[in-house]
Parts: sequence; structure tokens; C-alpha cells
Amino acid sequence: MFHNSSQRKYWIFKSEDEVAHMRRKANQKFRNKIQESGKSAVSDSMFLERHEEDVLFRHYERRLLDFCNAFKPAMPKSVVGTALMYFRRFYLNNSVMEHHPRTIMLTCAYLSCKVDEFNVSSTQFGGNLLHETPAGQERVLEQILEYELLLIQQLNFHLVVHNPYRPMEGLLIDLKTRYPTLENPESLRKSADDFLTQAAMTDAGLLFPPSQIALAAILNSALRASLSMESYLTECLGLKEDKDSISKMYDSMRRMKTLLKKYELPKADEVNIYKPRLERIHAQFASSSNKRKRGYEDDSHVAKEPRLVEEFFLNLLNLCFVPGMDG
Amino acid sequence: MDDQGCPRCKTTKYRNPSLKLMVNVCGHTLCENCVEMLFVRGSGNCVQCDTPLRKSNFRVQLFEDPTVDKEVEIRKKVLKIYNKRDFDFSSLREYNDYLEQVEDIGRGTDWGRPPETEVYNLTNNLDVENTKLKMEQYQREHRDLIQKNKATLTREQEELEELLLLEQQGNEQRRLDVLQDEQRQLQAKRKNKQALLDELEQSQLPATILLAQHKVRAAQLETQIEQQKQTVKPTNLFSTGIHMRQTVSLVAVPKVEDVLFHYKPLHVETYGPPVPELEQLSRVGYLNHVRAAMPQDTAGGYTSALACHRAIQDAFSGLFPLKG
Repeated sequence: MFHNSSQRKYWIFKSEDEVAHMRRKANQKFRNKIQESGKSAVSDSMFLERHEEDVLFRHYERRLLDFCNAFKPAMPKSVVGTALMYFRRFYLNNSVMEHHPRTIMLTCAYLSCKVDEFNVSSTQFGGNLLHETPAGQERVLEQILEYELLLIQQLNFHLVVHNPYRPMEGLLIDLKTRYPTLENPESLRKSADDFLTQAAMTDAGLLFPPSQIALAAILNSALRASLSMESYLTECLGLKEDKDSISKMYDSMRRMKTLLKKYELPKADEVNIYKPRLERIHAQFASSSNKRKRGYEDDSHVAKEPRLVEEFFLNLLNLCFVPGMDG
Repeated sequence: MDDQGCPRCKTTKYRNPSLKLMVNVCGHTLCENCVEMLFVRGSGNCVQCDTPLRKSNFRVQLFEDPTVDKEVEIRKKVLKIYNKRDFDFSSLREYNDYLEQVEDIGRGTDWGRPPETEVYNLTNNLDVENTKLKMEQYQREHRDLIQKNKATLTREQEELEELLLLEQQGNEQRRLDVLQDEQRQLQAKRKNKQALLDELEQSQLPATILLAQHKVRAAQLETQIEQQKQTVKPTNLFSTGIHMRQTVSLVAVPKVEDVLFHYKPLHVETYGPPVPELEQLSRVGYLNHVRAAMPQDTAGGYTSALACHRAIQDAFSGLFPLKG
């Protein structure tokens, strides 16, 4: 359950500032690493700034969402939620400059299928990479397998993610059973669902417990439909005397709403500026970070020549390069 | 179980597992038949290594591996001469050195050597002569000491034998006693039966009463026998040799008094409102709003209450903000 999960202990942070600070640290760490290794022709302007990284992050996040939604067979919502959470957690402690988001995003989806027991064989998974030739799919799969261990390590082996979808169902059941004042809770379901999908694209999952997110979704949709649900909190959840908790909960919901409002879709032209820079960084520092990509010690039977990887990468990126294919 | 058969007649060993193997000085085996055969012809050479042999040199093999037997023979011979004991030496180091010396000598006469090759043969012969010389010299030097040690050894052996004899005698005695007891019991029973028959013949009382009396007497006899069996002869020695009534001091074990354990049921902090119990769900009306379980689901033990309970638990877990 959530209350004794690793998510509550290690992956719920106190404020948006803390989260931003962690991302800044990851960015800085990468810069220091490259500068210490003393590569020639390194200038500060080459590196991506925080807001530029953010744009790219959101762009690839959206692509992950589209990939999961277009997945055959249909991916359950919890698997999508888990994949997005993995993606988000990974880039809390690592910079996009260090590990390219495209492979990481596919690895997140692959790992999430495994963890959430949505059984997809690797060939089936590869079959979903529609804009690749079968040979290309094979290579992408190999890449995914190489990155898998790294991803798990960076998640600190905390693989169980609690998503807000089941709490939302639970709240709806509770509303129907114990709160007759509200006539038709089912009407709230659709907009609550949308709220949750939007919330998955924000940092809400890193700041609030999933049950609170679900409650915020339901209250929000009730507000939209101009239905009052004040008494639910006081009566059914037993918070009549606890004014403090009620005010805190309203506060959290307000914060969540702000987060959702702040989210903006990545603009295509911005993405087109930052992406080439990202590719250049990867191309330049790929050889140094090649060993890191392995995620484990040099295994002679898994070894791939670095050149092959670079080439492959450039091919991939050329495909992504084509304007209009970006989501 | 046995080696590979007698080297001369090869087959006889397999056909006749009771046939014994004899070992000679050079460490090679021969079955009994072959030994006799060999000495009938008058030639006394070992089949494998051609050393001249005497019939008396053959001993019945005790160990499976003939080399072990050979070593045992040599060891006996050597130790007859080198029979110093541990109290003859002033320090442990000296005793150990002496023992090493003995082993080296033994090795010189080839006990426990690896199978022969040409080189070893040569060294073997050299060493044998050398060690024989050494042994003779030692014998001459320590003649008195050897004699004394022999005497002590024999004395010890005699003592051991005496003890063994005593024990055996005790066992015998006990066995005889038990036999005698049994005999006596049998006799008593027979007497009883005879008495009954006599009474039936002679007395005036009716048969049933006589039978009843007999039964009573038989029962009494039985209980007597039982009691006799129970009364163990009191000894004054425990099996470990400690005398009875010998006070062994035991420090009183300190009594440890600890706080009594009180059971407290487990309380898990869920940071949210209380969740209704699984069994209460249907009563309160939750189950009306959950998809009912189909027959295929219930076969595996699934009930809709399980899914409902899980959803409610998830909804309430962590719902309240942390205090402070």
C-alpha cells in the first residue's frame, strides 16, 4: 500500500523548489563531468540550460505518452502512468545531455510493462516501433536492453509506483455508497480522468500522494459541474474537527491546480532549436559516455563497438530530424 | 570389494569370495591356493617382483590394499626397536623430532612409498641398506632403554587385559543370575499348576472355588515376579564413573525476572481515514457499486469484495496531509 511504500519514503518531495533544485544539480553534475574530463573545444554555450532541458523533457514525455497510447495491445492506464513516472524520476537525477531521452523513454515503457505485469514480449514491443525497419527494431531493442539496468539503478531499484487511477475508482465507490447528496458521481468520472492524465505530465506525482491527486481530480470536476462537495470532506472522511487538515488539503489541491495550469505544450520551433544542440552534445561526448550506457561492467559478450552505436544513433536522430514527425 | 583378484590364478578370487589373500614382505598379494602351489614346487619367488620368499613370511591380509599391510608389518618391526615413550623426553619438541626420525627410517625401508619406478627401485635398495645399518646401530646404543620400554609396554598391556577380563567376568555373572531367576520363576509356575491338579483330585471343595483360588495365587505370583524385575540392584557408581552421593557443587542459577510480555495488536499508520473491514463491505452497501463477480472469477476464490476493498484502501491511504 502507499503508506508503507518506497514511493512515499523516497520519491515524494516537499516542494516544487526541491524538485527544481535536484534537476539543477543533475545539470551541473554533467557539466562538471565533461569539463573535468578535459575534452577539447568545450564551451559553456554548448551545454543546454535548465529551461531548454525542460522543453526537451516535456517534448519526449509527450512522445512517450503518444507511444503508449498507440501501443498494440492496448496498454492499461496504470502501465502508462508507471512509465511516465519512471521517465520523470530518471531525469530528476540525470541530465538529458547525458542519456538521450529517446532510448530512455522506450526503456521506461518496456520496464513498466514488465513491472506492472502487462506481459509483452520484446518482439511484440519492437513491433510497435512503427517507423523502423525490422532490422532497425532489433537494434532499438538491443539498445533498450542495454539501458534497462541503468534505468533500474537510477530509480534506486524502487520499481513499484502507485498511480492515482485506483484511488479515483475507490473514491467514486465511496461517494456512491456513503454520500447520497451527490446524485450522480459517474458524471464526474470523465473530467476527473482528464485531470489525472494532465497531472501525470506534471510534477504532481513527485509532490503529492496519489490518493490526494485523485481527490483533487474529483473535487475539481465537481467544481466544474458546480456541484458542492464540501460536506464530503467533513462528514465522510471524518475531518469535522480537524480544520487544520482540511485547510492543508485545500492548499495542496490549489497547488496541484497551479501545476496543471503552468504546464504548457512544448512549442515546435523551440524544440527544433534545442534538439540539434542535444544531438551535437551526444555525438561529441558519446564515446566518453559509451561505457556508462552499458549500465554494467564490461561484458565481453555484450560489447558493441562504440562506432556502431554512434552511427546508429545518428541514423535514429536523422529520422527524428524530419520536421512534422515531432509530436 | 576386493582388489582385482589373485595375480596368479586370476579367476579364483571372483568365484570364491571367501578365499583369503596373503601378503608377503614385498607387498604383493597371493591367494591361499597359490601360496601353497608356489611352495609345493619348491621355488619361492614372488610373481611380480621376483624376490626370494619363505612360506612363513606370508601373513593373512587384513587390509584391502596390500601396500597398507606391508607398511603395517614394517611399522611393527621398527617400533619394536624404536619404542621410546613421551615421558622419556624432556620437551614436546624433542618428542616430535624423535617421531619424525622414526618416520624417516620407516620411509627408508619403504613403507607408504608410491608405486615402484626404476629410480625409486634404486633409491629403495640403497636406502634399505642404509636404514638397516642405522637401525642396528641404534639398537646397540639404546639396548637398555629398549628393554626397559618393552617391559613397561608389556606391563601396561597386562593391566588392560586384566581389566577386560574383569569386565567379561562381570557380564557373565549377570547373565547367569538372570538365567537362574528365569528358571526359578518357571519352576514356581509349574509347582502352582501341579498344586492345583492335586487339589482338584483330593479336596472336597467344589471345582469353581478351587479354580478361583488358583487364579488368585497365580496373580500373586505374577506381581511378585514383576516386583522382582523392578527392584534394580542399587549401585554406587554412575556410568561415567562418578560415585553416587558425591557432592558436585553447582552454583545456583540466578533467577532472571523480566517484564511480562503483553500482546499489543499491530497498528499500521495509513495517514488517511479508517478503511472498513472486508467483511463489512457488503453490509454497508459498497458492493452494489462494484462489478459483480462472474462464475469464472469465483472459481479461483475471487470475490467482488476483494477488488472493492483494495480500491477503498488505495483511495484512503495517504489521503490526510502530514501533521506539522
